This record gives sequence, structure tokens and C-alpha cells, in this order.
Amino acid sequence: MKGDVILDCKGLSCPMPILKLAMAIKKLEAGKVIEMYGTDPGSKDDVPAWCERTGNTLLDTVEVEDGFTFFIRRGE
Amino acid sequence: MIESGSKKKGSLRELYDIFFSKSWPMWVGGILLGVGNICLFIVLKPWGASGGVKNWGDNLFNLMGGEFANMGAINLFPYSVLCILLIMGAFAGALFSKQFALRFPPLGELFKGLVGGLLMGLGAVIGVSCTIGGFFSGWPALSLGAVVFTVGLVIGTWIAVKYLLFEVNKFPKLSSGKTSSFLSASKDKGSWQPFLGAAVVLIGLIIAFRYTDTNSVLAWYAAIGLFFGMVCQRSRFCIVRALREPFMSGSSVPAVAVMAGILVSMFGFVVIKFMGVRGDMIWVWPHFWVPAIVGGTIFGFGMTIAGGCTVGSLWRAGEGHIKLWASIVGMVVAMPLTAKFIKPAFFDALPDSMKQMFFLPEKIGYGAAVGVFLVIMLLWYLFVKWNERTGKFSAY
Repeated sequence: MKGDVILDCKGLSCPMPILKLAMAIKKLEAGKVIEMYGTDPGSKDDVPAWCERTGNTLLDTVEVEDGFTFFIRRGE
Repeated sequence: MIESGSKKKGSLRELYDIFFSKSWPMWVGGILLGVGNICLFIVLKPWGASGGVKNWGDNLFNLMGGEFANMGAINLFPYSVLCILLIMGAFAGALFSKQFALRFPPLGELFKGLVGGLLMGLGAVIGVSCTIGGFFSGWPALSLGAVVFTVGLVIGTWIAVKYLLFEVNKFPKLSSGKTSSFLSASKDKGSWQPFLGAAVVLIGLIIAFRYTDTNSVLAWYAAIGLFFGMVCQRSRFCIVRALREPFMSGSSVPAVAVMAGILVSMFGFVVIKFMGVRGDMIWVWPHFWVPAIVGGTIFGFGMTIAGGCTVGSLWRAGEGHIKLWASIVGMVVAMPLTAKFIKPAFFDALPDSMKQMFFLPEKIGYGAAVGVFLVIMLLWYLFVKWNERTGKFSAY
């Protein structure tokens, strides 16, 4: 899978990853996908919870070498 | 649960996974910390976090030839020991769940950690409290000053959230740039982590056990500190989030978790105080109302910039976030200096009526005082739930 936009949140801790995700997704058209990199263990819980609350879709979570890659599709 | 190769998990493996395969709900953490807090009060006094970190700073500055407060050596001051073992517990919790890594943030973030820590140190000393002593333990102690301190925390948090939104939009570079992480684990990598975790727990328990000969208070503070660190890391217990999320994502989950802990502690604290097991005025600080509101606001701003209050910084430091190491450095430096050079003049300038110890049951009795706190918490609960539905105060 590949995102339309890449958001690098490596090395960041709470609340910066979700804050940056929220700001990045505002700039995106509905249906487009953000590919987000993160290393904070908290993001593993926060990203799905945030997506569910905000009507965006978490398409996939991939565990990579030093953290996670999330694929998030902007909702309507 | 079926593992790859359709081999069934052993019972012990299943037990291990219950604790360490995914995060615990935060309210579970809140309740466990609430119970542990009662234990601390039975052993000596309620939970506090900043006092321990301040003691590290005092000792450090005294060692360098300064003349600062002397509350005892680091290994003999209960709250210092508690804080150290809390970091160890969080370290172990992260290792057991293979979540430990040294995570170096962009330089701008490191700077925010340091500044946040310095402000927390300033606020904690000016306000005679932090999120634990002046909130998580202060409410159960039925101190009205703790409510004022919390109002300050909310104001500071709100301002800091505005700042963070401004920063991410106008200066996105501050939170991006070169980062690195070391020693991280993944599914097939880092199987050494749980073994090191076991060693850390063992060392923590040996430290606790070694105190039993000379000082059983320290033994319990060490053991409970270790437990608290593990609980905080596994449940990602975070008071910053409880106060911040209504203004950010709108989630009420962290606020409810903190309320759960406060409720549990209040039950125990009221019994302990009412029955005279420990003194009425314990954890009722002389900060009602000016020091509480001023210190609370500064502390609230600092913790939100740093991304963790004192305890939040300690357990995240144990998990390997270098930003929170910077935050601890900030607190260690700021607290002794504030206590020596700023606090005396600040307190001298205030009339006694503005720096009182306000124990609510003294004025209206225990029943009514507990009732007041329950009503405040119910209103808080209704606010975060309403806000979660409507998003009235949330940024996104």
C-alpha cells in the first residue's frame, strides 16, 4: 500500500503525532490516504481511537523496523 | 488464540500476554494507582511526585557546593526512592512488552521538553504542588487548595494547547527534522527486552527488600514505586491527557480514568483521616488560593509543552523518550533554584489570607466536604462527556 501524502512522526511523543495527523488530514481531500510513520508506542492505541472518533478510516497498521506505519484515509 | 503454525499458546504465555501484549485500559491504571495511593498513605503519606525530583536537584546542587534544602540523601528520602523505582518500573514494563527504545526527537522537541520541565519546576515550587500532590492526591485529601490548583492546571493547559496548534501550523519545522531510535524491538527482533525487564524487576525488588532491615517505610515506597511505574507504562496513565484532550481531540477517556483513581483514593483517605489514623492536614498545602492558581497555571502550561507532568515524564523517560529526559533535567534544575531564589519573596509578598491551608471538612464537616468533591467530579464528568459529543471545546 502507498499513501498520497507522507507524514513523518518518528521520534515524536504524545501529543505531537496525533496533533500533526489532525492538521495534515485537514489539508487533504476526502478519500486520499496519509502514510504516517511513528515510533511512540502510544500511537498504536491513539491512532485507531482518533480515526474512529473523527470519521476517518485506518486502512492498515504495519509494524516496521523501529515503529509503525499507519495508512489513514480521510473521511467525508 | 492460535499462533502461527496453529500451535496453541501455553497457559503461562496467555497470562503473560494479558499483561504485556497490549495496553491496559487507562481506567484500570487509575484504579490501581488509587489503591496504591491509599497504601502509601497507610505506610507514611500520600503520593507525591515533584518532591522526589526536587530532592534530586537539592542533592545535586549541594554536592556542587551550593546551600539548598536538605531533606535527606536521595536513597533515604521516600519520595526520591519512589521516583527512581517508578522509572525502573516503567522501564521494565516497556521491556516486557518490547516497547522500549531510545527515541531521540527533533532538536526543537528536545528544547520544548527542557522548557516544559523548567516551567513545571517553577510552577510546582510556587504552587507547592504538582498534578499528583495538588490533584490526584490533593482532591482525596479534601483540600480546597487542590481544586484551585487544578483550575490553574486547566488554564495553563488550555493556553498551551493554543500554543501547540499555533506552533504546528506556523512552525512545523520545530517538530520535524532528524530523529533516531536505538535498541528498538519488533516482532522478530529484540527478544532480549523481556529478559532485561525481568532483571530490572528483580533489582527493584532487591532494593526494596534491602530496606526492610533498616527502614520499612522506604521498603514499601520502593516496592510501590516499582509497581506504579509498571502500571503507568502499561496503562499509559497520563494526567496531561486527562486535562488536555477536551481541548484537543475531545476524548473523555483519560479524564474518566483519572476520576476513577481519585474516587478510589478519596474513599481510603477519608477513612484514614476521619478515623485519625493520620493527621487531618496531611496533603493540605498552604497554597489557597494565590500560589495554587499561579503555580497551577505555570505547571499546566509546562506539562503540556513537555508532553508529560512529573510522573508522566518519569514513566516516559523509562520507556526511552529522550524528550522527557530533557523535561526531568528541567525540573531538577528549576525546583531548587525556585525554592531558594523566587518562592521566599513571592510568599512574603502575599497576605496570610492568600496562602492558606484550606481543609474543607474543617469548615463544613466530612459528609458535606465529600459531597462537594463528588458534585465537582460529576460536573467535570458531564462536561467532558458533553464536550466529547458536541466537540464544542475541541480543536479537532
